[in-house]
Amino acid sequence: MSTFFQQVVNGISLGSTYAVFAMGCTLIFGVLNIVNMAQGALFMGGAYLGLEAARLGLPAPLALVVALLGGGVLGVLSDLIVFRTLRARGGHRWMGLVASLALARVMVGLAQEIFGTQVQRYPPSAFLSIAWEIGGVRIQLLQVVIVVVSVVLMALLAITLQRSSTGRAIRTVAFSEDVARIVGVPVGRTIMATFFLAGALAGAAGMLLGNLFNVVSPFMGDQMLVKGLTVIILGGLGNVPGAVAGGFLLGLIEVFSVAYVSSSFRDAIGFGLIFLILLVKPTGLFSRVEDRRA
Amino acid sequence: MRHSIVALVLSAAVTVGALAMERPAQAETLVKIGIVQATSGGSAALYGTMQKNAAELAIDEVNASGTLGDIKLVGIHQDDGGDRGQSVNIFQRLINQEKVSVILGPTLTTAAFAADPIAQKAEVPVIASSNTAPGVTAMGDYIFRTSPPESMVFPGVLAYVKKKSAPKTAAQIYGIDDALMKAAYGVHKKALDAEGITIVATETFQKGDVDYSAQLTKIKAANPDIIVIGGLAEETANIVRQARQLGIAPSTRILGANASISTKLAELAGPAAEGFTVGSSWFIQYDNPRNKAFVEAYRKKYGSDPDTFAAQAYTSVYIFADAVKRAGGVSDPKKLRDALAATKDLDSNVGPFSFDANREPVIAPKVLIVKDGKFTLATD
Amino acid sequence: MTAAAAQFLASYSNIIDLCLLNALVAYGLYLALSANMFSLATGGFMALGAYCSVYLTMEMSQPFALAVLAGAVLGAAAATLIGLPVLRLRGDYFMLATFAFTEVIRVVALNWDDLTGGALGIVNIPRDTQTWHLALALVVVIYLVHTLRGSYLGRAIAAIKQDDVVAQTMGVDVFTVRLSLFVASGFICGAAGALAAHLNYFVGPGDFGLVRSVDALSYPILGGVNALAGPLVGAVFTTILPEALRFSSQLREILLGALVLAVVLYLPDGALSVLKPRRRAGNSGGGKATAAAPRVSP
Repeated sequence: MSTFFQQVVNGISLGSTYAVFAMGCTLIFGVLNIVNMAQGALFMGGAYLGLEAARLGLPAPLALVVALLGGGVLGVLSDLIVFRTLRARGGHRWMGLVASLALARVMVGLAQEIFGTQVQRYPPSAFLSIAWEIGGVRIQLLQVVIVVVSVVLMALLAITLQRSSTGRAIRTVAFSEDVARIVGVPVGRTIMATFFLAGALAGAAGMLLGNLFNVVSPFMGDQMLVKGLTVIILGGLGNVPGAVAGGFLLGLIEVFSVAYVSSSFRDAIGFGLIFLILLVKPTGLFSRVEDRRA
Repeated sequence: MRHSIVALVLSAAVTVGALAMERPAQAETLVKIGIVQATSGGSAALYGTMQKNAAELAIDEVNASGTLGDIKLVGIHQDDGGDRGQSVNIFQRLINQEKVSVILGPTLTTAAFAADPIAQKAEVPVIASSNTAPGVTAMGDYIFRTSPPESMVFPGVLAYVKKKSAPKTAAQIYGIDDALMKAAYGVHKKALDAEGITIVATETFQKGDVDYSAQLTKIKAANPDIIVIGGLAEETANIVRQARQLGIAPSTRILGANASISTKLAELAGPAAEGFTVGSSWFIQYDNPRNKAFVEAYRKKYGSDPDTFAAQAYTSVYIFADAVKRAGGVSDPKKLRDALAATKDLDSNVGPFSFDANREPVIAPKVLIVKDGKFTLATD
Repeated sequence: MTAAAAQFLASYSNIIDLCLLNALVAYGLYLALSANMFSLATGGFMALGAYCSVYLTMEMSQPFALAVLAGAVLGAAAATLIGLPVLRLRGDYFMLATFAFTEVIRVVALNWDDLTGGALGIVNIPRDTQTWHLALALVVVIYLVHTLRGSYLGRAIAAIKQDDVVAQTMGVDVFTVRLSLFVASGFICGAAGALAAHLNYFVGPGDFGLVRSVDALSYPILGGVNALAGPLVGAVFTTILPEALRFSSQLREILLGALVLAVVLYLPDGALSVLKPRRRAGNSGGGKATAAAPRVSP
C-alpha cells in the first residue's frame, strides 16, 4: 500500500511541473490559435536563467522570479521577432508552426553555445534535501514546495485572466480578434502580454523541474514540449483549467503506467490515450460545451 | 591612398610570411585524420565534443613532439550532429575528397553501422572511441575501437561485488532507446544470470527522461540486493540520486555501465554517489605518467575534466601515430592497417594498449568505487 | 574530367541519394499540405515501410521491388486507419493525432525486439536501393502530382485549400478528397521508408521519430506549396544546407534555424517565390491580402 501512495506522490509532483508548463501552451493556443513549438525552448531558457541567478547567490524564491520574468521576456521577444512579423505578413497558416520550430532550434543552438552541452545542476542545498517518511511514503520538502509554488502560479494566472484588465483583454482576443478590435482592445499589446504570461509560466516550470530533478541542459525542453502537447489535448486546446487538470492527470498516468503496466510502454500509453480522446471527446476531457472556443 | 599603402604593406607581410612558412612546409608530409564527432544536435554532442577535443589535443602533441619526423598530422573535424545520414555523407567526402588516412569516430554506434562499411570498402581504417555495442568491429578488418565493449568490463565488476557482499537478487534499469544502453542491458543480464543472481525487477527509461521515481519506487518494492543501471553519466547520476532520495538504503549497492564513468556523475549525484561501483579501462585519477600528462594538458586547454571517451579518443591518435611510424608512412593502406592491428603494449594514457585478433582493445578492467565524490580503485 | 566526375560522385553520391529520397518524401507531404493537412505522421509511415520491407527482404527473402511495394501499401493502410476518424476533426487535432501516431510507432519499434532489434536496430541490410530507383520514383511522383494539379480533382483540392467550407458547398466531397490525399501521402512515405532502409545498411527506431516528421514538413513549406517544383527545391536545399554550412560546426544549428526562420518570415510563399518578383509585387497590397483573400474569394 505504501508503494501505491508513494506513486501517487511521485505522480503529483511530476504532474505539477507539467501543469505549469501546459498552462502557457494552452494560453497561447487559446488566444492565437497556434501551437507554439518554441515553448519548450522558453522552458529551457527559464531553467538556465534561474540557474545563473542561483549561482550568483540569489535565494531560491528570487531565482524563481528571475526565471519567471526571464521566460516572460523571452516570450515577448519571440513574439516581436517572429510571430508579429508573421501576423503582419499573413503567410500560410502553417508557417507559424514551422517558424516556432525554427525559433526553438535557434534558441537551443544558442544555449549550447553559451552554456555548453553538458548537463548542469542547481547548487545543492541542505534545506531542500529534507524529507519525511510517513507510513513508508517518502515526501521531500522540495516536492511540497514545488506543488505549492505550482498551485500559487495557477491561482495567479486565474486571477490575472479573470480580474485584471489585461486578462479581460486576453479573453476578448481569444474570443475573436475582430470583436476585440471593434470594442477597442489593443490587440497587438494583448497578444504580447499573452506571450509574456506563457513565457513566464514556461520559465517558471523550467526552474521548478530543473530543481526537482536536478537537470538543466539545452535539450531539456524537447521532451517537455511533447508532454505539453499531450496535456493540452487531454485538457482541451485553449482550455486553461483543463491544462491544469490534464497536467496532473498525465503525471499520474505516466507514473501508474510504469507502476502497473511497464515502463517501456509508458509513452505509448500516453499517446494512445491522445488517440482515444481525439476519437471520443476531441474537445478534451474537461470541457463543457460553453467553454469551447468559437 | 592610405588604403593602398596599408594593402601594400599587408601583402608584403603576407608574402614574407608565406616565404618563411614555405621552407619547413616543403619538407613535410601531411597526413590527414578525419575526426567524425557530433558537436551539435542533441545528446550525442555531449560525448562528441570531448572526443574531438581530446583527439585534437593529441594531434597537436604528436606534431610538437616530432616523433613522426617530417610527417605532420592534420585533424579534419566534421560534425555529423548525431544524424547518421550526415555521418555517411561525411565519410564519403573525407575518404574520396579529403583523402584521409584514418577516421576517428563516429560518436554513435548507430552511425557506425551505417558509415563504417564505406570506409571498410575504401580500405580506410576507422578507430572508434565511443562505440561499445557488440558487432562494430565485426563489420570488417579495417574497423578498430579503443572503447572496450561492456562485455569485457562488467563481469569483472560483478565478480568483485559478489565477493564483497554475495547478492542474491538484482534489479535492472536501462535506457531502452539508446543502442549503447540496450546492449549494456543484455551484457548485464547475461552476467547476472551467469552468477546465479535472480533479477527481481527490470525497468526502462528514455532519452530526455528526468524523473525516474516511478521506476525506482517499483524497484524499491521489489527490494533487490543490488541495482544495475544501464545509463549514460547524466542519467545514471540522477537515478542514483533519486534512488537514495526515495529511501533505497546505502546497503543496496548500485552498479553502473562503463559509459557512465564521468566526473560529471559524482558532481551531479552529490553524496548519493558514495559506493557507486563501475568497471572501466580508464579513470581520471589513473596513476600513470602518460595519463597525468593527458589530464593536465586537457584541463589546461579546455578548462574541464576529460571523460572516458575523451581518454580513449586521445589514445586512438597515439595508436595511429605509432602505426604510421611502424608502417613507414601512410602510402600503403594495407601496411598501415596491419601496423594498427599489430599494436601491442603501446605505452598510453589508458595503460599498455594492444588490439586483439578482432581489433578490440585488450585491457585490464579495473573496478572503481566512488569515495568522497571521486572514482577510486577498488583495492581489495 | 571523367576522373574528376568520378571523384565527385564518390564523394557526394550519398548526398545525391538523400536529396532524391527527401524530395520523394517532400512530395508525399506536399499532397497532404495541398489540402491543409499538417501531417506529422511521416516518421511513422516511413518506419512502417522500412521495417516491413526489411522483414520481407531479410527474413522472407522476397524481391526488393515487392518489399518496397509492401512497405508503401502498409503506409497507405495506416493512413487510412488514422485518417478515417481523425480527418473529421479540425486541423490542429489532426496534427496532434499524427504526431501521437509517429511516437506510438517509435515506442512499439523500441519494444518489439524480435522484429526491429529494438534500439540496436537492424544491421547488415542489403544495399538494394540504387540512385536510379530513387530518381525513377521521384520522376513518377512528380509526373503524377503534375497531372493531378491539372485535373478536376486538382481543382477540387485547390478549392479545399482556399476554404473547405466553401468547397463543400460547391459540391466537393472534402472528407473523401482529404482522405485520398492522406492515403497517397502514406503510400509515398511508406515507399520512401523502404527505400531509405535499404540505402545505408542499417535501420533503427531513432531514424523515424518526430525530428524526421518535422524535417519532412519543412521541405515543401520552405520550397513553397504552390509551385510544382517547390517540394523538390525545399528538400534539396535543406539536405545540402548542413553540408554547405559545415565550416562552423558549433554555430551551424543556429544558422540553420535562423535561415529557415528568415525564409519563413520574409518569403512566406516559400523560397521559390524569389523567382517571381513581379507577382509578389503585384500582390504587395500586403501579405495580409493574400491571407485574407481565401475568405472573400468565392
